[in-house]
Amino acid sequence: MKRYIYLSLMMALDCVATLGFSSCSSSDDDAPKDMTQPVITEQGITANPIDCQVYQRGETIPFHYVFTDDTELGNFNIEIHNNFDHHTHSTSSTECAPADKKAPVNPWVYNKDFTIPAAQRSYDARIDIEIPADIDPGDYHFMVRLTDKAGWQQLKAVAIKIQ
Amino acid sequence: MITLLLAAASLLCAVPDTTVTLKGVTVSGQRQHDYQMRTSQSAVQISHDYLQQNFAGSLMQTLEGVPGVKAMAIGSGQSKPTIRGLGFNRMAVTEDGIKHEGQQWGDDHGLEIDQFAIDRAEVIKGPAALLYGSDAIGGVLNLFSNHIPTEKLEGTVQLFGRSNNEQIGVSAKLGGRSGKWFYRANLTLIDYADYKVPTDSIQYYSYYIKLKDRRLRNTAGLERDGSVMLGYAGYHFHTDVRISDSYSKSGFFANAHGLEVRLSDIDYDHSRRDIDLPYQWVNHLKVLSHTTWRNDRLSLEANLAYQNNLREERSEPVSHGYMPEPDGPLERRFNKSTYTAALGMKLALGAQHELSAGISSEYQHNRRGGWGFIIPDFETLSLGAYAFDQWTLSEQLKLNAGMRFDHAHTHIHSYNDWFLTPTAAGDSAYMQRSADIKRNFNSLTWSAGINYSLGQWVFKVNIGKSFRVPIPKELGADGINYHIFRYERGNTTLDPEESYQIDAGIHWDNEVLCIQVDPYINYFPNYIYLSPTSQYVEGLQLYHYTQAEVLRYGVEAQLNWLMTEHWEAELKGEYLKAEQKSGEKKGYTLPFSTPWSADAGIKYHLDRQGKGFVGLNAHFVGAQHEIVPPEKPTDGYFTLNFSAAKAYQLGHTTLKVALHADNLLNKRYFDHTSYYRLIDVPELGRNFSLMVGVEF
Repeated sequence: MKRYIYLSLMMALDCVATLGFSSCSSSDDDAPKDMTQPVITEQGITANPIDCQVYQRGETIPFHYVFTDDTELGNFNIEIHNNFDHHTHSTSSTECAPADKKAPVNPWVYNKDFTIPAAQRSYDARIDIEIPADIDPGDYHFMVRLTDKAGWQQLKAVAIKIQ
Repeated sequence: MITLLLAAASLLCAVPDTTVTLKGVTVSGQRQHDYQMRTSQSAVQISHDYLQQNFAGSLMQTLEGVPGVKAMAIGSGQSKPTIRGLGFNRMAVTEDGIKHEGQQWGDDHGLEIDQFAIDRAEVIKGPAALLYGSDAIGGVLNLFSNHIPTEKLEGTVQLFGRSNNEQIGVSAKLGGRSGKWFYRANLTLIDYADYKVPTDSIQYYSYYIKLKDRRLRNTAGLERDGSVMLGYAGYHFHTDVRISDSYSKSGFFANAHGLEVRLSDIDYDHSRRDIDLPYQWVNHLKVLSHTTWRNDRLSLEANLAYQNNLREERSEPVSHGYMPEPDGPLERRFNKSTYTAALGMKLALGAQHELSAGISSEYQHNRRGGWGFIIPDFETLSLGAYAFDQWTLSEQLKLNAGMRFDHAHTHIHSYNDWFLTPTAAGDSAYMQRSADIKRNFNSLTWSAGINYSLGQWVFKVNIGKSFRVPIPKELGADGINYHIFRYERGNTTLDPEESYQIDAGIHWDNEVLCIQVDPYINYFPNYIYLSPTSQYVEGLQLYHYTQAEVLRYGVEAQLNWLMTEHWEAELKGEYLKAEQKSGEKKGYTLPFSTPWSADAGIKYHLDRQGKGFVGLNAHFVGAQHEIVPPEKPTDGYFTLNFSAAKAYQLGHTTLKVALHADNLLNKRYFDHTSYYRLIDVPELGRNFSLMVGVEF
């Protein structure tokens, strides 16, 4: 109860302060704030890549996921780096046995930012990513990063193998 | 790490260096009344006795007993101060009147001061630019280690420990006075192991980190502090020189250095006391000199200081993106030197006016190193001048007003990557991460206040403008922050951040009751805010510096009741709300918004001399749903805490024992304002702190 009295007092003060210092907006404009992260989902599609998938050098990874957000999607990034040193994660439910550790000679580095058209709440993301023929085979991490307009971010890490 | 205190002599309602006895309450009430009349700002004094009796493991945790003050946990059991939700460069920490200059902008940089050398403290809540210049927006934490010994030889030896991180420490103080000359020396040694949290695993995004024995891997550390002081204390003339050095080394949580999740070949679990990579060490060297001369009407003061803050952060070298694996583990090195000179005077003009004026100047020189870039090399020169009048119309009514002007010049050096990044044309380049920038900043600040006393009441109102100069990171950053794993871009056009604040204070006391209420409203026309965007740069989410209107308001309240000769009850609470009123995040709050909290405590005084007590405290914290990306809402919680202290007189020496037990119920909870909240690390479980000291 005390808090409510206090809150209303503070709201009155709020308006006084707003009046005093800048233009007074009589009440807070109630434009809904985006308070949730966007979602990377496999719902309704056959998503690619998924954990423990094996790809061949020279072939294509047909990236396919669905992105959703309750307000507005932002952008996304795909990054692929080697996991020859077994550096990260005991992440998702499945764990695929990594190959032996080794030093990278010509590891694959892929890092690309993608835009999503404005005002989308759902986006069907499909990108064909060519695997260079001359890279080191082995364990790789496939990272998907997704933002929404408000700046919330979602991550997804997938462990793949390249032969 | 919420540590809540029961106050024998409650902070706001009793006077430093007085022991509370029932007979003495009237006297101390009068003195408290006088203290409240001394400044129109909201200020709290924390005495040496209070610091000792309420020892809660670290100075900052002890100071959390002051409503409005919080210790922001930054891992490794270390914390940094915030006042009314503002920390980092939005508050100032001073030691013996000189602003402490470390790398206070950093998320994982602690206080770097020997907390056991501190004799007493003072917290000023609200704008204090007038005396302290840039940064004193949220308030000032004044620490004093300049007590003049009264005996030929006096000293203290303290042993202390904490159960949670198996911390052990010893601190010794020695001092003496011979005629007008005096000396002091301090030595503090602290060692601690990895700290424990009440969880078996930590989940962060999709990562799942298992903990061994519920310990946060590699959060062990150590601290070594020492100081010597020599002085002359005459009737009119006083001068002293103090040299202090504070060294600490502490590990970063191994599985999430910053917020990047990593596994490593290092066998972290083989010892909980060793410090492996990643870790940081920091050395803060300080030379302070104070000189005052005074007669009945006039006092003059000159302060000179040199500070060097040297820090290294070391981690396992790994390649990232286009950066190949670096040669060694030196990720970042900061070497900042600060030279300060300040001259001040106070002049009594008749019986009613006291005029203060002063000039100050500060030069900072910062050099970086290591393979990780976050803050460029820079030099900053700042000059300030102020004048302030305190007008005593009567014992009941006092007015004050003052003005200050500051000028700062910053030169930021350019920085290019040490590795090549492919560019569009199939070419490659050493990318520029910071441009060569020269900026000048001017700020005019002011404050005015009134104190009015009416019977048992004291009313205060203070209004003030404060500011801070943008830091080089905010102006010049353009690259990956590996600690938080995001891309940060500065803004060379930032203006000095300005803040206007109205504070009020209402105080009432009689023989048994004491009430203090401190509401405030704070408005920033151009709060400097690191805003997360929806953009990606080089594979990481872009955060860029913007300026937005921000409105903040809140209140602290405290009630103390001496129920009987032995029993004392205390109620206190704080509430704070912040909202961005313009810009990209209009309608959102600010990061790390402090949720409301309330405390109920009861205390039993063992005797009339205030030499011992036993107390129990319940600490309630509300949920925080006001968040801004990338934060998560945090549930409310409550903890039960116990404290006790007793002093024994053994001939010429005094034996002092203080025990503090936090989170007796071993609750698992999250602190919304903790840096590790972002990676879902819960706060400490049950923890006991014990201090045994001998004074002679």
